[in-house]
Amino acid sequence: MPIIPAELVRSGGMPSAEALEARLLAGETLLADTPVHLIEVVDVLESYGEVLDAYSINLIYQAERQFLLPFPIFKYFDGDTNPARIWRHLNHDRINFEYAEYCMKAMLWHGTGGLDAYLDSPAFAAGCAAIIRRKTRRDPMLAVLHPLFPGFLIELIRTAATTHALGQFWRVMSDLFLDLARSEAEGRVTSIEAVVEFIKDGLVAAAANPITYAVEVDGERLWVLPPEAGLTFLVDVAVPYVEAVFLRGTPFLGTVSFNAQAQQISPDQAKFAYGALYADPLPTMGAGIPPSLLMQDMYRHLPERLHGLYRERSRGEGDVRVKICMSFQKSMFCVTNAAIRGTFPAALASQDPAEQAANRAYAAAWAGRLAAARTDCLD
Amino acid sequence: MLSLLVLIPFAGALLLAFWPGRPAEGRMRKVTLVVLGLQLLWSLVVLLRFDPASSGLQLQEARPWVASLGLSYSLGVDGLSMPLVLINAVLTLVSAICTRDISQRPRVYFALLLVISGAVNGAFLATNLLLFFLFYELELIPLWALISIWGGVNKAYAATKFLIFTAVSGMLILGAFLGLALLSGSVDFSLTPVTGERLAIGSQLVLLVALLVGFGIKVPLFPFHNWLPDAHTQASTPVSVLLAGVLLKLGTYGLLRFGLGLFPEAWALLAPGLAIWAAVSVLFGSLAAIAQKDMKRMVAYSSVGHMGYILLAAAAATPVSMLGAVFQMVSHGLISALLFLLVGIVYRKTGTRDLTVLHGLLNPEKGLPLTGSLMILGVMASAGMPGMAGFISEFQVFRGSIGAYPLATLMCMVGSGLTAVYFLLLVNRAFFGRLAITPAVDPVAHGRLDVRLAPVAWRETIPAMGLAIGVVAIGLLPAGLGQLSEAATTAMARLPALATALNAGGLG
Repeated sequence: MPIIPAELVRSGGMPSAEALEARLLAGETLLADTPVHLIEVVDVLESYGEVLDAYSINLIYQAERQFLLPFPIFKYFDGDTNPARIWRHLNHDRINFEYAEYCMKAMLWHGTGGLDAYLDSPAFAAGCAAIIRRKTRRDPMLAVLHPLFPGFLIELIRTAATTHALGQFWRVMSDLFLDLARSEAEGRVTSIEAVVEFIKDGLVAAAANPITYAVEVDGERLWVLPPEAGLTFLVDVAVPYVEAVFLRGTPFLGTVSFNAQAQQISPDQAKFAYGALYADPLPTMGAGIPPSLLMQDMYRHLPERLHGLYRERSRGEGDVRVKICMSFQKSMFCVTNAAIRGTFPAALASQDPAEQAANRAYAAAWAGRLAAARTDCLD
Repeated sequence: MLSLLVLIPFAGALLLAFWPGRPAEGRMRKVTLVVLGLQLLWSLVVLLRFDPASSGLQLQEARPWVASLGLSYSLGVDGLSMPLVLINAVLTLVSAICTRDISQRPRVYFALLLVISGAVNGAFLATNLLLFFLFYELELIPLWALISIWGGVNKAYAATKFLIFTAVSGMLILGAFLGLALLSGSVDFSLTPVTGERLAIGSQLVLLVALLVGFGIKVPLFPFHNWLPDAHTQASTPVSVLLAGVLLKLGTYGLLRFGLGLFPEAWALLAPGLAIWAAVSVLFGSLAAIAQKDMKRMVAYSSVGHMGYILLAAAAATPVSMLGAVFQMVSHGLISALLFLLVGIVYRKTGTRDLTVLHGLLNPEKGLPLTGSLMILGVMASAGMPGMAGFISEFQVFRGSIGAYPLATLMCMVGSGLTAVYFLLLVNRAFFGRLAITPAVDPVAHGRLDVRLAPVAWRETIPAMGLAIGVVAIGLLPAGLGQLSEAATTAMARLPALATALNAGGLG
């Protein structure tokens, strides 16, 4: 067997589920608190914030302005279709909005939480019927399509609703991450602990924000997600998003090799573990896979401080997107960490045995899932 | 004119040897590159003066040397040797370019490289049998030194094995040449074909068999191939490039020029057996390559297989197959040099060539994507994918041979299919999947390794890119090389029939 030089390969430690549970209950951060980690997380989240801003604007534009368009050719243009913009788009000097759609589809497909429940409710069906009635009056193509495929337009409206909800979610997250970068620059955030706390506070503050969505058809405003549905930011969108994108994900070809017929992919969606916390950063920049799209977008907005740090390491510019992906995974562990903190059933300091038991069970459930994730990046 | 092709590298070697004082780092390499650049330039000048329409030897030079022995300094070039002279110039230059980090004795290293190149040119151009033998032997010692001084861990074993095998090869060849003089009673060591009138067919057969074994060792053909995989595995990348690309061609060139060229009658008699020998060699080389775990050994065994095609073509001796033989020499030279260069890059970056530990090297950012892409191109060319050099040569060899020896040709075609098998195994194991350079013991831990390979600089890839362009260029535009060699190979292909007809009482 050949001797492989140790500096060529590195394998991080993988904490056990018990160790992770203990950390969560003790209020410690999952990611080790080091100065380099702080730069990586804050700067990557800053570039992510810039990208999410663009994603959010575009998702909301798509849901509102490209609603039920049979051929939404210009859906990524935010209404700006001058030739220079089209040329830049074709030349691939642009944000990969496809990534945002991947995330939307993951949410729609995994379908957990209040939003998904509402999309299957009679109230939503009634809303859809009203919208389709309006819409088909002026649009002969939809008028032909709808009786032929009665489920089709409803599914499109569900997609649009998820798109809009994700856009609203990312609006909040984008502002939060950019605020975090500002706070760090001003010296108010100086540790990973402070980062997690900052994100937790942001999530908790926005927790009760209402999620609503209305479309304008023939000058009339019609609700798709009405205020009466009572959908809120944290439980109905943020938590399903974390479930769909951070945890479950989808096994993209190019990142995972599998034989679906041999059931190497679980038929039970709940058992999926292909999300951002489980993904292997190494295949990043494989053609067309979602991680490549996001990392390319973040590379466009990479803060100079982090870029300089990357340039000094291993291949420098050569593998910069993989390094962004690795830092991104660390930052997503921080966001998850914050989300877990913000959703503990009781205060961690509580002395009540029943509350302590509830917290322990909650932490154990998370730790069990995270133990199989890419926790090797945490040390 | 032709003498310069021999003189330039030899003079370069002398220049290096007597370079005053302790030369600065990299100086020796630069001087060598200049000398080899001159050699390539002069080869191109010779190419311009070469008349492809003529089938005979051209630009001849002759000076008596030791007349009593029949040794004369006589050089000439024809459509068979011209492409090989060019390949020698190109590949020696490539191997000098890719010798970068040579720490010990650069002066000796580069001088030996130049001696080899000059000796190989001399062997390709010699029109006197003894002169050929001198050049043939002259190249052995420098190559032995290149392996035994700058080789891998088992270099002494491999170099000695190489030396013993090729020394036996040399002895057999010299024995055959001397035997020819002894049996025919003249000291004419020119390239005139030996006819039945001059030498009885039985004696011809004996001499031809000696030559076949002698050159069969050099080519190498099964079962004399044993030295090659060891020599390749222990040799450094530039030496492997030279060995596979140029030196093996001395064997095939010898088979065509001296086996077929000197003893056409006996050749025609042995040809059916030779075709079967070729097929066995092809199949053995391919099957052995499938079993290899070391990338370099796999490429080395593929050489054993691919050299067999040339014997098949020579056995069939039709105009198409003979042209195919020249194409195969050139394309194998380029393709195997390319593959060895790429294996060398993989080895330098990962420290291993073991196919059980290398995975996913095509990884776009952390792996060796360009090296991997060129490797895929190289193996496709080797497996005879249309559009590349390997296809043209294999197609011509098979097309030219199938009429004469259908069974042997079919067996060789199977060997060609097996090439795809072992090279796909290589590409699949080493280049696809998740990047790793460690054995997969624990799948979970293995799937989490962060691999930190050094990037491949552009200058490291440029020689390989040049060869890859050559492989595709010959594949897309084979006419140039075809025109260069067609007249000579067609004339050679007529030899056995001509000799047999003469023997049977004229051409009727």
